[in-house]
Amino acid sequence: MIRLENIHKSYKLHGGSSKVVLRGVSAVFGKGEAVGILGRNGAGKSTLLRLISGVEFPEAGHIRREMSISWPLGHAAAMHYAISGADNARFIARIYEKPIAETVEFVEDFAELGQYYRQPVRTYSSGMMTRLGLALSLAVDFECYLLDEVVAAGDSRFADRCRAALLDRRARSTMLMVSHQAETVRAFCTSGAVLKDGRLTRYEDLDQAIAAYHAG
Amino acid sequence: MSDAVARPVDWGRALRVQLRVLGALILREMSTRFGRENLGYLWLFAEPLMLGTAIGALHHVTGHGLPGGLHVLMFWVTGYVPFYMFRSVINRAPTTVVANQSLLYHRRITILDIMLARNLLEGGAVMGTLVIFLAAFGMALDLWPKEPALVVFGMAAMLAMAHGAALILAAGAIYTDLIDRVIHLVTYVTMPFTGAFFMVFWLPTEMQHQALRIPTVQCFEMIRRGLFGTAVPTTFDVPYIITWIIGLNLAGLLMMNVARRKLVV
Repeated sequence: MIRLENIHKSYKLHGGSSKVVLRGVSAVFGKGEAVGILGRNGAGKSTLLRLISGVEFPEAGHIRREMSISWPLGHAAAMHYAISGADNARFIARIYEKPIAETVEFVEDFAELGQYYRQPVRTYSSGMMTRLGLALSLAVDFECYLLDEVVAAGDSRFADRCRAALLDRRARSTMLMVSHQAETVRAFCTSGAVLKDGRLTRYEDLDQAIAAYHAG
Repeated sequence: MSDAVARPVDWGRALRVQLRVLGALILREMSTRFGRENLGYLWLFAEPLMLGTAIGALHHVTGHGLPGGLHVLMFWVTGYVPFYMFRSVINRAPTTVVANQSLLYHRRITILDIMLARNLLEGGAVMGTLVIFLAAFGMALDLWPKEPALVVFGMAAMLAMAHGAALILAAGAIYTDLIDRVIHLVTYVTMPFTGAFFMVFWLPTEMQHQALRIPTVQCFEMIRRGLFGTAVPTTFDVPYIITWIIGLNLAGLLMMNVARRKLVV
């Protein structure tokens, strides 16, 4: 279970002013849930994922985590640009106590980076980084995955594989996916939430969440 | 550390995880800093080795005698090499968090882990370099350290102090870039006061008391006692050194704890 209690977060802007992003978010995400969090651009979706993952801290409020949680997937975060994809896999294996050889092999198979797997990550395209990030997190086998829509969007062969892998994981892992598109969320999630004006509203029924999102 | 996981805390396991993280970070630091090309990891030793040799040779050639009849080359090299460690730990501290931000996406990795890994690697490399120098002096000049344990303790104390100061600087750098802009100037200007290039007994009596307030001066005195034994007078106060180490590290940890919550990744 992940429990958010009255989370507040704002960021300082250049020039001294600040922008309030989250103003009192409370929510409970239970084991095995697949929740689609809908919000417009700038609504604070990425901020929410960063706080849940623990890479940033809320200004007020508490986050209780009772399962292992991935880093937010979809961006190039959580890897090293100076070292190769394979070295990243070794590093992740050491950190998360996974067998090194198998992890390197799994990531190589899943991410399909070809020769680039042995090249520094900074030479990758953004799509390749997304693939590597997802492959690394699947290798760790988290109890909860934090997903940005870019992981599951797209119509390439690889996007299909990502979707298949995530659907497969959904059977045993919790998933929180942020998106501004109802369709992406519908493919993965069983319940929904809408992030608007710094507040999060949960809906047991996904269609209700989507209707509220479109109405807002 | 920041895992608010409501499972019973198993300290043995927590320690194992931290050690594992530290080991992985050290390996990573080695490969990002030195790569696998040309000399690779040997650069770890090559850099301080070359600088130490250059500084030592310079003073050897210009040939001023030293009070107490200390060997010129050995004095300068054994002053410069520990100073090199101290300075690089301090100088690199303000950029550590920015340079390693992506690591913080792994909740098991704390800023303290990142800094410990870096500084232990630095300390290990410089200690290795010092051993190479001391072995060379021993074989070529028959000048072996009189009390080797004191050399190791002195180096360790200096590293622990630098680590505490580095935590403070890194925490400050989360708030302002100013720290990184001035730190190189500060380490350069304060170089003569660190004790790397003088001994306390060279100074007039009142100045000796002033100099001994500087904690690095005491570390150098300890190292020199280890090197030269009682051939020259040395002064250091172990409780004073330990107090500084604890003070700097506690302040550093507290400040980092506060700053971490402000960090925007």
